[in-house]
Amino acid sequence: MSDMPVNKGPHDIGGESAGPIDTTDHGMKFWEKQANALRSVLSRAGVVKVDELRRAAEGLEQYGKLAYFEVTTSALRVLLLEKGLITEAELKAKMAEVRGRFSVPDEMESPIKKKDKR
Amino acid sequence: MSPDTAAIRSSYAPAPGHRYAVGDRVRIKGVFPPGHRRTPWYIRGKRGVIERICGAFPNPEELAYGFDGEPAKVLYRVRFAQKHVWPGYRGPDHDVIEMEIFEHWLEPDEGEAP
Amino acid sequence: MSGPFDFYAKRPHDHGHEHDHDDHKPESEAEGPPSEFEILSRAMQELLEAKGVVTADQIRRRIELFEEDFPYRGGRVVARAWTDPAFKRRLLEDGRSACAEAGIELEAERLIAVENTPDVHNLIVCTLCSCYPRALLGMPPTWYKSRNYRSRVVFEPRAVLREFGTLLPDHVTVRVHDSNADMRYVVVPMRPKGTENWSEERLAGILTRDTLVGVTVPQVPGKE
Repeated sequence: MSDMPVNKGPHDIGGESAGPIDTTDHGMKFWEKQANALRSVLSRAGVVKVDELRRAAEGLEQYGKLAYFEVTTSALRVLLLEKGLITEAELKAKMAEVRGRFSVPDEMESPIKKKDKR
Repeated sequence: MSPDTAAIRSSYAPAPGHRYAVGDRVRIKGVFPPGHRRTPWYIRGKRGVIERICGAFPNPEELAYGFDGEPAKVLYRVRFAQKHVWPGYRGPDHDVIEMEIFEHWLEPDEGEAP
Repeated sequence: MSGPFDFYAKRPHDHGHEHDHDDHKPESEAEGPPSEFEILSRAMQELLEAKGVVTADQIRRRIELFEEDFPYRGGRVVARAWTDPAFKRRLLEDGRSACAEAGIELEAERLIAVENTPDVHNLIVCTLCSCYPRALLGMPPTWYKSRNYRSRVVFEPRAVLREFGTLLPDHVTVRVHDSNADMRYVVVPMRPKGTENWSEERLAGILTRDTLVGVTVPQVPGKE
C-alpha cells in the first residue's frame, strides 16, 4: 500500500493511471483562441509571467474538474486580481455587461429563472 | 555575427560554475516541499545520468511568486532508465525518459550503478 | 474543428466603446451560449483594453500569428533538415540557432530537436501543464493537453503510441521527453522511403504536428 502523496499538486499527474486518449484534435473555439492570445500578449509584455500563471493554475481548487482553457482563464483571473490590475467589483460589473450582450432568448426558461442567474 | 547575437540565438545559456558534467550519475532529491516546483513528483528520489547542460536560468520556483528568480540556477537534462522510474515498467529495459532538472534538486549518486 | 468566420464581424448593440471587439462572432452563437469562462475571459480582456494594458490590435495579431504562421514553421524546418544534412546537424546541435538561420525567429523557445533513428523513437509530453514549442508548431492539439496523455505517456509510452496507431518493435528504444522547464522539443522523424526527389514543400506536407510530437510517423500517401 503506497503512502499518501505529500504535497503533490493537482497538476503533477505524470504516472497516474488514466483512461484511453481521445486522439482526435478538437481544435479551439474562438473565445479560446482569443483567451490564448490575451495570455500570450500579457506574458510577452511582462505583465504576468508564465511561471505565475502556472502557479495560479496549480492552486485552483477546481483544477481537476476544469477544461484546459477554463484553467488558464481562471488562473489569469487570480493573477490580475492579485496584482491589482483589476478589482473584483470591476470584474463583476463587466461580466454582467458581457453576459447581457450574449443573452439569447430561451423559450424553455421562465423570465424569473433567468433573472435569478444574474 | 557578434558573440552577443550568437548567444541570444542559442537554445543554451552559459552555466558558470556548474556542479555536474555530462555523464555524471545523479539522484533527484527525495523531498516533497509545497509550492510551485518543476520537478515532477514521479521523479523524486530517482537515479539518472546528466545528458546535457542547458544553462543557467532564473529559478521558476521564485518567478512563480513574482520574484526575479536570481541568482540563476543551472538547468540540466537528466536521463533515466524507465525500469528504474516505474516499478513494473512494461516496456524493454532500454527505454528511457529524460527531463530538465535544476541543480538544487540534484545530489551526486555515488553508490553502485542502479 | 470550427468553420470559417469573419474576424471583423460585429454584432449590432449599444455599448458605447470607441474600440471594436472581435468578440461578437456569429460563431460564438453557433457554438452554443457562452460559458462563464468565456464571459470571464472577454470581461478581463475588455477591462485590460480599457485600461490600456493591451490593445485589441495586439490580440488580433497574436490570433493571426497562431492561425496563419506558427503552425507551418515546424514542417518547413524539418523538411529542410531532411534535404540538407549539414542543416540537420546544426538543428540537432542547437535548435534555436538553426531556426534563426532558416529565417524563423522563435520567440521564447529554447528548442531542442531530437532525431528518430532505426534504433530510437522520441516522444514529447509536458506532464505538469502543456508546454509546447508554440512559435514553431502553433497550438498543441487537445489530446496533448489532456489529462490522460499527460499522465500515461511517461509510464506506458508504447501503449499510448498504439492508441495513435504507431507500433514499435521492442528493439527500438522509446525515449520520452518531459518538457518540464525552460527547453522545448521537436522530433525530427525518419524520412520515409518513396520521398526521394520530393521538394521541401511536399516533404513539409507529410510532417504533421503529430509526427513532430512523436505519436505518429510520417506517411507517404498511397503507401502503407
